[in-house]
Amino acid sequence: MLKYIGKRFISMMITIWVIVTLTFFLMHAIPGSPFNQERNTNDTVRKNLEAHYHLDENLFVQYGIYLKSLLQFDFGPSIKQSSTSVNELLSRGFPISFELGSVALLFSIVSGIALGIFAALRHNGVIDYGAMTLAVIGISVPNFIMATLLIQVVAVDLKLLPVATWASYKHMILPALALSMSPLAIIARLTRSSMLEVLTQDYIRTARAKGLSPFKIVVKHALRNALLPVITILGTLVAAVLTGSFVIEKIFAIPGMGQYFVSSINDRDYPVIMGTTVFYSTLLIFLLFLVDIAYGIIDPRIKLHKKEGE
Amino acid sequence: MKKWSVMLVAFVMIAMVAGCTTGANPPGKEGDKSGKEKIVSLNNGNEPTSLDPPIGFDAISYNPLNNLMEGLTRLGKNNEPEAATAEKWEVSSDGKTYTFKIREDAKWSDGKPVTAQDFEYAWKRVADPKTASPAAFLSYFIQGAEEFNTGKGSAQDMKVKAKDDKTLEVTLNSPQKYFLSVISNPVFFPVPKETVEKNKDWAKEANTFVGNGPFKLAEWKHKDQMKMVKNNNYWDAKSVKLDGVVWKMIGDSNTEYQMFQTGELSTSGIPADLSEKLFKEGKAKVEDQSGTYFFRFNVKMKPFQNKNIRKAFSLAVNQEDIVNYVTKNKEKPAHGFVAYGFNDPAGGDFREIGSDLIKPDKEKAKELLQKGMKEEGYDRLPPVTLTYSTGDDTHKKIAEALQEMFKENLGVNVKLASLEANVFSTDQKALKLQFSRSSFLADYADPINFLESFVTDSPMNRTGWGNKEYDKLIASAKKEGDEKKRFEDMHKAEKILIDEAPIFPLYFYNQVYLQNENVTGIVRHPVGYLELKWADVK
Repeated sequence: MLKYIGKRFISMMITIWVIVTLTFFLMHAIPGSPFNQERNTNDTVRKNLEAHYHLDENLFVQYGIYLKSLLQFDFGPSIKQSSTSVNELLSRGFPISFELGSVALLFSIVSGIALGIFAALRHNGVIDYGAMTLAVIGISVPNFIMATLLIQVVAVDLKLLPVATWASYKHMILPALALSMSPLAIIARLTRSSMLEVLTQDYIRTARAKGLSPFKIVVKHALRNALLPVITILGTLVAAVLTGSFVIEKIFAIPGMGQYFVSSINDRDYPVIMGTTVFYSTLLIFLLFLVDIAYGIIDPRIKLHKKEGE
Repeated sequence: MKKWSVMLVAFVMIAMVAGCTTGANPPGKEGDKSGKEKIVSLNNGNEPTSLDPPIGFDAISYNPLNNLMEGLTRLGKNNEPEAATAEKWEVSSDGKTYTFKIREDAKWSDGKPVTAQDFEYAWKRVADPKTASPAAFLSYFIQGAEEFNTGKGSAQDMKVKAKDDKTLEVTLNSPQKYFLSVISNPVFFPVPKETVEKNKDWAKEANTFVGNGPFKLAEWKHKDQMKMVKNNNYWDAKSVKLDGVVWKMIGDSNTEYQMFQTGELSTSGIPADLSEKLFKEGKAKVEDQSGTYFFRFNVKMKPFQNKNIRKAFSLAVNQEDIVNYVTKNKEKPAHGFVAYGFNDPAGGDFREIGSDLIKPDKEKAKELLQKGMKEEGYDRLPPVTLTYSTGDDTHKKIAEALQEMFKENLGVNVKLASLEANVFSTDQKALKLQFSRSSFLADYADPINFLESFVTDSPMNRTGWGNKEYDKLIASAKKEGDEKKRFEDMHKAEKILIDEAPIFPLYFYNQVYLQNENVTGIVRHPVGYLELKWADVK
């Protein structure tokens, strides 16, 4: 196991280095610059700014400078938010996106799995169709529509909750709900289809024949196997939800980090583009690693170090 | 089986309903409080890029900063500069040297006196190439500033000097009366020398920020909100009626409007789709903003090397129709390039005196197109592509309306193209676009700021056009001490610009907003930043 983890760690490092290198050169290949507003930009002023951020150096020198500071976990200064470093932007934004994302994830995983199981058990019944209609709506209605609708109905018309901003748990409910809709739907559909498959297997019939209670059959025997595909997508889903959503954070004025994924590219804010990419990919790679380990726990037939045994 | 499926449904339902009903307290507490405590709640749109005066050169930084600090002058309710941190000043007979006397009772929010040295330090910091201030070009009015900024001069040679603790002497390159208005801009705010030297991150957090304005920064939750409270150390604290200001940072215009509806915001912008309705209901208010929406021809590309063809396209455009049926935002149609709001020495408005330099004229447009094509020997007009930037739907709508006008009034089929804003800007500057949308917002309150853009090879020119007579007029206006003569030069220059038509204007920008009935006294300058010094809550 330890050997496996060591090997994985090295390949993770290489993956991150490849991502850093690709992003760095691709991002500089996009036309435009951070000091390229429509307004008057005097040449001297632009040159001084470029010198300030080392953008006047050769691209490979810049790459070297970046790698060096990255090894010290320093993402550099933000160009747009000129008095803030990328480390500060991330350390302020991520906990908030994480908090909101965790609530949304918890809600979507629990309800998604429940809805999926339930639809599978009542296959082709009214409840199945109802649950899956809900799931299709969840996937196909864009979350900015869902968010605007929720605000209009719940906050403006019914005045039950505040419209936006980030101040108390009350402010968290609407964005978490809007954010959880699409993962909930994905999880529900996935759970349903794999449950349907598992429920027709022989060992379930055996379990039934043994006279086990329906609860035990579903939770202990069927669900455990049916969850494998759900866990597979959970890695990417968790990384995406926890790092925040551009749309939801903008509509609800939440000071998370999700907005930087889009705004940094529009602004050509190179250090922020790099910072968010490195942060996100590191998180994603780590979560995929956890998923691999989780396979082994859920299904002991899957051996992590199988290759070595062969 | 049945029992536990019922439980599942119940769980899902409870979870969903809980999402909607927990904490059913009515929102808008801030709105209620403001009744007793006089607090105005505003939306800044985003986190300020920086509250360090030479760094955060944009509205999201300068709107709050304008209320936290104060320069030697401050724009009054009539948009004219008034004595602020400076109590009075003298101007030398050649109009170039200003001697400012700083108020004895001008204090920083930490109680220390504001000194002339603070101003000297701050202004040299703007021009210092090491500061890399995007606003450094505004300091070029001062002798030696441009040299310092371009690395050819030094701080000592920049002509701003503290004579003593309360006297500041500044020497300009040429006599410019509007200098007093220029220095109300946050770029020219003083900074507390001692604090800045000790801590370069002084402007990053509420507890280290020091100001000298009507309000002081009490709390700054980054990207979330800022709270300001009345600054009792401010020299004119008795004029400040508000107890505090809350600045939220909401990027979405619909959310902003919804928060205004629930009373969580005192003012709001207007979502584009609702402007017509809100104007009809009489709720939307309008204020001028000094800036022009216009289009650029590339005179280095066919067929726009020809003046008559450029002119034909300009005359085919109906500015009134654009503001009435396309933008529907009550902008003033532009028949000249310089916006309204700049008075000449006789008190006349530059735009009104300059009159309408271009008006839609279908017949003449067709005639000029024929003439131009003949001059160039064209049987058919080379293909024309109009490029706009994405990100704002208005640009697309306007481009489509123009396409229709060119077809109807000139019989020309213009192709449309769109580019991402940053790429658009790069291509426009590199003269890669044939015909493209543009905007200009004034950095300081004088017609020359509009007109200097089109001097040959100016980084704002972006058309390839150059005219010696025009360059001469602008250069002379910049040196001229006689205001009457200066305005004459500028009128002549504007006439050349519109007649030669490297550009044509569409409309002048405005500021459209909603405001709670009980909030008064917020001043929105055409050039300048939001002013809360005189704001009040009834």
